[in-house]
Amino acid sequence: MAATTAEAPQAAAPRKKKGAGTAAVKTPWWLYVVVAAIVIFCLFPFYWMINISLKTGADLTNGSAYPPNPTLKNYQSVFQNGDFTRALLNSAVVSVVTTVAALTVGSFCAYALARLRFKGKFPILALVLSITTFPAIAIAAPLFRLWSDIGIFNTWIGLIIPNLTFALPLAIYILVSFFKEIPKDLEEAALVDGATYFQAFRKVVVPLAAPGLATAGILTFIGVWNEFLFAITLTSSPKARTVPAAIAFFTGSTQFERPLGTVSAASVIISIPLIFLVLFFQKRIVAGLTAGAVKG
Amino acid sequence: MRGRFGFGAVLAALVCALFLAACGGDDDGGGGGGGAASSGGGGQEQTKGAKVIDPNSMNGAKGNVTYCTGKDTSGASHAWINAYNKKKTGVTVKIFEFPASADAQRQQFIQRQQAKSGECDVFSSDVIWTAEFASQKWLYDMTPYVAKRKSEFIQAPIQTVTYEGKQWGVPETTDAGFLYYNDEKIKSPPSTWQQVYQQAAQEGGIVYQGAAYEGLTCDFLELLFAAGGQVLNEDGSKAALNSPQSVKALQLMVDGIKNGAAPRAVTTYMEPESLAAWQTGKYAFMRNWPYAYALSQNDKGSKVKGKFQVTPQPSFEGGGKAGILGGHNSVISAFTDNPGAALAVVDYNTSLENNVRVGSKYSLAPVLNAAYDDAKVKKALPFSDELKQAVAQAKARPVSPVYPQISQAIYNNVNDALAGRQSPADAMKKANDAIDKALATF
Amino acid sequence: MAEATTSVTEAGPQQTQRRSKGLSERRLAFLMVSPSMVLIALVAAYPIGYGIWLSLHEYSVRVAGLSRWAGLRNYTTALGDSEWWAAFTHTMIFAASSVTLELLIGLGMAMAMHAAFKGQGLLRTTVLVPWAVLTVVTAVMWRTMFESPLGFVNTLLGTDTVWLGEEPYALIVIILADVWKTAPFMALLILAGLQVIPSEIYEAAKVDGATAWQRFTRITLPLLTPAILVALIFRTLDALRVFDLPFFLTNAKSGTSTLSTIAQETFASNRIYGLGSAMAVLTFLIVMAVSFIYIRTVGGNIRGLAED
Repeated sequence: MAATTAEAPQAAAPRKKKGAGTAAVKTPWWLYVVVAAIVIFCLFPFYWMINISLKTGADLTNGSAYPPNPTLKNYQSVFQNGDFTRALLNSAVVSVVTTVAALTVGSFCAYALARLRFKGKFPILALVLSITTFPAIAIAAPLFRLWSDIGIFNTWIGLIIPNLTFALPLAIYILVSFFKEIPKDLEEAALVDGATYFQAFRKVVVPLAAPGLATAGILTFIGVWNEFLFAITLTSSPKARTVPAAIAFFTGSTQFERPLGTVSAASVIISIPLIFLVLFFQKRIVAGLTAGAVKG
Repeated sequence: MRGRFGFGAVLAALVCALFLAACGGDDDGGGGGGGAASSGGGGQEQTKGAKVIDPNSMNGAKGNVTYCTGKDTSGASHAWINAYNKKKTGVTVKIFEFPASADAQRQQFIQRQQAKSGECDVFSSDVIWTAEFASQKWLYDMTPYVAKRKSEFIQAPIQTVTYEGKQWGVPETTDAGFLYYNDEKIKSPPSTWQQVYQQAAQEGGIVYQGAAYEGLTCDFLELLFAAGGQVLNEDGSKAALNSPQSVKALQLMVDGIKNGAAPRAVTTYMEPESLAAWQTGKYAFMRNWPYAYALSQNDKGSKVKGKFQVTPQPSFEGGGKAGILGGHNSVISAFTDNPGAALAVVDYNTSLENNVRVGSKYSLAPVLNAAYDDAKVKKALPFSDELKQAVAQAKARPVSPVYPQISQAIYNNVNDALAGRQSPADAMKKANDAIDKALATF
Repeated sequence: MAEATTSVTEAGPQQTQRRSKGLSERRLAFLMVSPSMVLIALVAAYPIGYGIWLSLHEYSVRVAGLSRWAGLRNYTTALGDSEWWAAFTHTMIFAASSVTLELLIGLGMAMAMHAAFKGQGLLRTTVLVPWAVLTVVTAVMWRTMFESPLGFVNTLLGTDTVWLGEEPYALIVIILADVWKTAPFMALLILAGLQVIPSEIYEAAKVDGATAWQRFTRITLPLLTPAILVALIFRTLDALRVFDLPFFLTNAKSGTSTLSTIAQETFASNRIYGLGSAMAVLTFLIVMAVSFIYIRTVGGNIRGLAED
């Protein structure tokens, strides 16, 4: 794509440095070019997908940059498809339950790691961090057999449990960074005033940790929503299939249609709310993603 | 150091957890090695103990049945299901579609069977999966039901549902590959494959299914069998693919791509893509199943409407005529909770009324002899004689519980050769070795 | 840091007072940490253990329910399988290429986002869009662009390459798709690192006559190194586990099989549970080895978090 060649040359980079330190200097023209290139790079594939989603029939294969006969038929058929709306419900339930569970259990652990003194913090943190890097395939294969044997194949709980494998450590890791930020003085004051550790936790720390909880919650939620391998391995029907798996197994609206038109429509539908979510919470998300990277 | 000691404790705990997990782990079937049962329907060992269907269970059956099938590109499945539901027999059928490719359908079905899920009461199974599914005890033994109707069926499809002497499904449709030719460009059908490729190079080309999937195995075996080659030896115990005939057959396909008789993109084509290319009117030949006949005639935007004919596969120079027997069988999942209702549905799907419907309206080849005598079918399938001949000259693909691995060995290596990644001779040797490995699977 | 010292010194005289108010610190810590540890043992350790157990057996593909002990035979089979090594190679190529490209592009994006100009906020917002879309949706997007005849790439370049069906091209498309999705993530991490560099350093350097290039290589890059290293490791670990993109874009064919896809195919499609599990465990070991190296060497940020 054109964007790759526009971005790569590092020769452009040092010149930008001039702009970075001195805000008073007028912005050089090439900076606007670079910015335009970045915007195109980020948004063009999305535009193309919308383009395809508005085409049906023979238009799909004509490769034009805009739909000659724009139609919402693909979107209609996606919404009429009860399987897709069910997939939205499944994704919502699995994501919310996993996030709530991960935050609840994880915040206790994170508080202890951030505030209390005890041996073994480093190994626990190392364990937590390394679990976030587990390859999902190592867990998916055994779980398929296990779930089939105990009968929770193709159920919500069957998906929530493996998603917790990644959601819980992730939540703990993010929350530890945030809890560490909270000034100790407030807790100290509460303790001096006669509160127990637990009361201090509940009444002082939790309210202050709300932003951190929100951040961890959003990142966890998006992560679970995005999860694909467990979804295709551990579910088989619309009863429990989440959105990524539903999209992957779309067979198309009519019998003759290439599925890609409807799949694009479904993809657009699922992306819009996520994009709004991300844009609304972008400060939190950025803070969460960089937690621990630069500080500490 | 403090940290190291703590780390050790956590590590020890993890190891203990692993050990305990391992001890509590699943341990089905005793140890005992050996037992590599022979391929190709030998003995009764693998299917002993499978559930047997009671033909009377369909009388008075009620309930919901899910019919799982690949994407209904012809429209026939929706048609018969609507017709059946309208009869209000007390049994309601719901269709559940899998993606179009045969491999994807198999993956979807076996995932449910391995999970012991009764989601698919009835499955429209490709003929090549009978041995695998039966040996895994995933299907009902349908012998009592089929025995009553055996004489109604063409015999070749009946053989495709037979494994270890029992029938594991009921034939729905049969299939044999056709050579479609554009009669504005090709005045009379060529008599050998070599001529087909020669004429294709001059008159616009040939399209077929060349992607790395089951369809390519079909297309390749059609040439292989015509050239006189084999996949397995006589008793099915060893691979016999590494032969001069197989290299000749593959060389013909590879040369076809090299000299432009077939487009390079054919290595990614499955049935829908080759049909779409054919419908643009550019190509002189297409190899595809009979279902494409009605679509080539009736699809909006098909530029070959009224300009093509079909013929059974030509012979191979130095060999003979052959073809591949395809088709689908209705199988009943061993995990269904309503076998009686499932059987009622299968009974309708494979009835004469439905055979006539799929034959006359959707150009799918019926499996009942009587259907071919029906006037409507004769009119709609102007190629019914060719079809009967094609089925007669067709050979079955290797019957083996490890057929998927055998097919993979074939289609991966053939696809590599078509794409120019290896020579035909190397491809056949590698495929041969892979098949031997598959046959020796535990 | 100052706060930590304060609490340590204050701990002494008030220790006895605290102990009488509810649970002691250590017991409370135990109570708060153990639910997480138990849950982790259940959902992470148990499946891994079971997976290892499966990998030490052979489960018959022909006869339902028949199995036997195989010891390490599945592992020797996997390590002797040319297709597994092909998947290994593809994964390594993918990881190396995508991480490098993401780093370079991310660095460029971060520098642009750091530069002061009107509309900077809009740029930051735009850059989050690729991160926000689901991986599956990313695959759909790139398929609509590269799959002839729906896509425009062949029209644009005037070629007729079968992008998703031919050997080097399919992997290239997957790398590009991953770079598109993740360069913004790298950009954000690097931007965070850029933002903590005080501008006085640059001022001082400029006064000393340093050129823009010298400022970049002698100040920016060294100070960015921690942030870059963290981003590098996280992205590498993600790249080694890649599954979604090859599965949806090419069904892991045409030279795009990866460690995860070949394990999944062996297990789910070919029903060779023992071998599939062994491949999954091998993938796990490879990823864990890299993870371990990271924690050992660059574990800086965990150390900081673990400090009392």
